[in-house]
Parts: sequence; structure tokens; C-alpha cells
Amino acid sequence: MIEAKGVCLRFPNGTMALNEIDLQVKPGEMVYVTGPSGSGKTSLLKLFMGIEYPTSGSLTVLVQPMIKGQTEGIRHLRTIIGPVFQEFKLIDGRTVVENVKLGMRFLDLSHEQLQENARDALQKVGLEHKALSLVENLSWGESQRVAIARAVARKPVLILADEPTGNLDKDNALKILDLLTSFITDETAVIITTHATHLIDTEKTDKVIRMAQGSLNWERLG
Amino acid sequence: MLRRNVFSTALTIFSMGLIFYILAMILSGWWVSSHVVTVVQGEAELNVYLDETLVSTGPDVLQMIERIEGIEGVRAARLVDKEEAYQRMAEILGKEANVLERFEDNPFSAFVELKIDLEELDPILEALSQLEGVEYIRDNREVLDRLHQIAGVLSLIGLLVVVAVGVATLVIISHIIRLGIANNKEQINTLRLLGAPERFIATPFLVEGLVLTLGGGMLAVALAAGSINFLYAQLAGPLPFIPLPPREGLVAGTVIVVLSLSAVLGIVGSLLGFVSDLGA
Repeated sequence: MIEAKGVCLRFPNGTMALNEIDLQVKPGEMVYVTGPSGSGKTSLLKLFMGIEYPTSGSLTVLVQPMIKGQTEGIRHLRTIIGPVFQEFKLIDGRTVVENVKLGMRFLDLSHEQLQENARDALQKVGLEHKALSLVENLSWGESQRVAIARAVARKPVLILADEPTGNLDKDNALKILDLLTSFITDETAVIITTHATHLIDTEKTDKVIRMAQGSLNWERLG
Repeated sequence: MLRRNVFSTALTIFSMGLIFYILAMILSGWWVSSHVVTVVQGEAELNVYLDETLVSTGPDVLQMIERIEGIEGVRAARLVDKEEAYQRMAEILGKEANVLERFEDNPFSAFVELKIDLEELDPILEALSQLEGVEYIRDNREVLDRLHQIAGVLSLIGLLVVVAVGVATLVIISHIIRLGIANNKEQINTLRLLGAPERFIATPFLVEGLVLTLGGGMLAVALAAGSINFLYAQLAGPLPFIPLPPREGLVAGTVIVVLSLSAVLGIVGSLLGFVSDLGA
């Protein structure tokens, strides 16, 4: 699903964000990427999404080579990935269900399919009763769940969640992580970045990637 | 999805409407002048005034008319007697015809009316001047030349106005679209990260540009139609002899041209705004 060999990412100002990253992620795996702030966790996810491109090395995500110029291929890749952004990126002034549908409007889905997917996703995150609420009226935790619903409504094969626990208390953070873990299937992998290593349920985790100053060590579990 | 300011939108449509209204009136003026020139050209004629003694002698006049008809370029010639000349002027004057009653006698002279090929005007004039009994020749060359000049000036003005309107509209609309993109940058970036194709992202902006210009175009044609109807009503009385084009056709043509142009400019302006933002 993801194959990285010797991947480096250097920013224009010379900062080496990622250094010689080698990793593989297979379908159905639950992977945590941990490390302190600035260690390269978010940069790694940006590479997977095609927001940044490797300065050197090779990276393939769902058979799509992640190199500049592959605009249409990377755009298509993004339609089968379910991203959960650190800042949510919900659209103010729109309802919960409108935000969930947003990620599916340009896919080849009928109106009924769109409605059904949105309803299912909101049910899974426990926000069906808030479907018609404006997103700016939601709590932080509820906003996070809407972002997750938007990501999973399109039935992605890869879910990427960047710091989904954020500033949540332990109980709510665990609920969010459990929720994300519940979407793993034989075909779907989930990658979560977090600095809250104490929250990781090792029984449900296949890999923990520890990052420090752009380099990684990893630990296989299970 | 896009954030819009209703007041700003209304103001833009109003401004576009005024710009397109100017265009509509200039186009109508050019259309009318071209029509008048064409009609007058088609009515190219000469009025030949003969010696009074010749006119009063029936057979001599008929002989003169035959000789005139024989000149190359003359399509038809007929005598207009004093009574007919009087009646024609009365028709032209319309409600003011009672002014003719102040004359004790009929002040108009008889003349020979010629229908000619305009290109043969000079040779015909030369030939007529050599005929004995021809006292005076009146042609409408000066009128035609003056009309040509006016039509030419209106065409140039029309062209400049079309160019100015086009450039102004493109600049305004593309700028509005760029502002719209800047105001919705976050949403656009989110859509791109979710894999939305560019045409999905661009469509609302194209529609917005089209709505702004078409809205302005419709306002303009409504104003222009009212103005044309008003002007025609004002001109019909005092200047009945000006061969104006049919009012319905003029209005319909103006509507089609202005609405088509506004739609094209709206789409092109929006595309320019969107593409220039992509480039930036």
C-alpha cells in the first residue's frame, strides 16, 4: 500500500524534514507514527498525500509514484484516501451533513448513494442527531468526529489522521482513537500521527513508527 | 459553498448594467445610421427642374423625359406636376401642413424625378447639364456624403466602445473572481486535498461571472428597449421622413447582441480570473 525507500525531504530553506525514510504499510495495518513536535510526523503524512514531494528516494502510495508532474494521478489518489486534518478543515456556514458530503460531491455517486454514505458515516461517529447543525456550533471533539465522518464516508482504502487527539482529555482521546481503529478492514489501512504515545493500544496496533529529527525507528507489534 | 456578499453582487450587476447600456445605445445608433444610409442610397434620385415654358407644353415635356430616360444610368423618369409636389410636401409636414395654406398660389414647381444608379451619378449630371431646357438639377449627394461621414464616425465610436466595454468587463470580472478565490482559499485548498478536479472547483466561479454579466446585460437591454421605444415615439412626429429601421427588429437585435456579448465576457473574465490565480 505504501512503499518508501530512502525518502528524504528537504525544505527550500535547507531544513531536512525527513532523512532516509524506509517503510512499508500493508492493507489492513494499523500504524502509529509518534514523536515530539517537529520530528517529521506531519511531513511524512504530507508526502503520503502529495502535498509535499520527496527530494530524493522513491515513494509509492497505492501504486501511485509520488513525484511532481503526476497531477491527475495524485488527484485520483486523494479521492481514495480519507484524510483527517489536524485543523479539521471544515467549512463554516455549512451543516454537519453538508461537510460530510463535501468529500463525495465530485465522485461518481448517485444522489441516493451520497445520502446513504453520509448517513452511515454520521451514525458510526455518533453524530446523526447533529446532521443539520452548523459546524461552528460544535465542540472540539464533535468537530473532530465530523472530520472523521467526512474521511470515512467515501469508503477510503487508506485513512490518514494527523494528531486527531489534539487537545482532548484522555477519555475523549481514547474514544477518537478507538473510532479510527474501528475502520480498519482487510483492505483498509489506518495511519495515525500522535505525540500521545501513552494512548496507543498495542493490542490493536501493527506498527509504531517513532520519529526523531526527521529520522525513524520502528517497532513491529502483534 | 462560496461566500458571497449580496450588496457587492447587486452593485456589480448594476455597474455592469450601465456599461452594457452604453454599449447597447451606441450599437443601436450605429444600426439606425447604417440603415438610413442604406435606404437613402437605394433612393438615390435626381430632381430635374425644367424651363417653365417647356413644362407648360405637354408634348415637349414628354420628349424631354424620353431623352432623359435614354441617358445611361437612369432607371426611370417621370414628371411630378405642381399639384403632386404640393401634396408631397403636405404629407411630409403632417400636422404642420396648414402652413401651406398661407400661400395664395401653389409655390412648388413641377420637376422630372429620376431614379438612378448611384455609381453613374457624375456621368448623368454631365449629360443632363448639356440638355437644353434643363434649368436646375438637385441631387442628394451632399446628404449622402454627410450621412456616410456620420455613419463612419458612429462605426468608429461603436468599435471603440465595444473594445472599451470588453476590456473593462474582463478586468472587472476577473478581478472579482480573484477576490472570490482569495476569500474562499481555505475551502478551495480543502477541496483540492480531498481530490476535487479543477473543473469542480472552477464551476461556481464561472457561474458567478456569468450571473454578474448576464444580470447586467438584462438590466441593460431593459433600459435600452425602453430608451429606443421612447426615442422612436419622439422622432416619429417631428421627423417622419427619416427612414428608421423597424423598432421591433432593432430592439430584438440589440437584445441578442448585448446578452450574447455579456455571456461571453462573463465566462472569459471568470476563466481569466481563475487561471491567473492558478498561475499565481
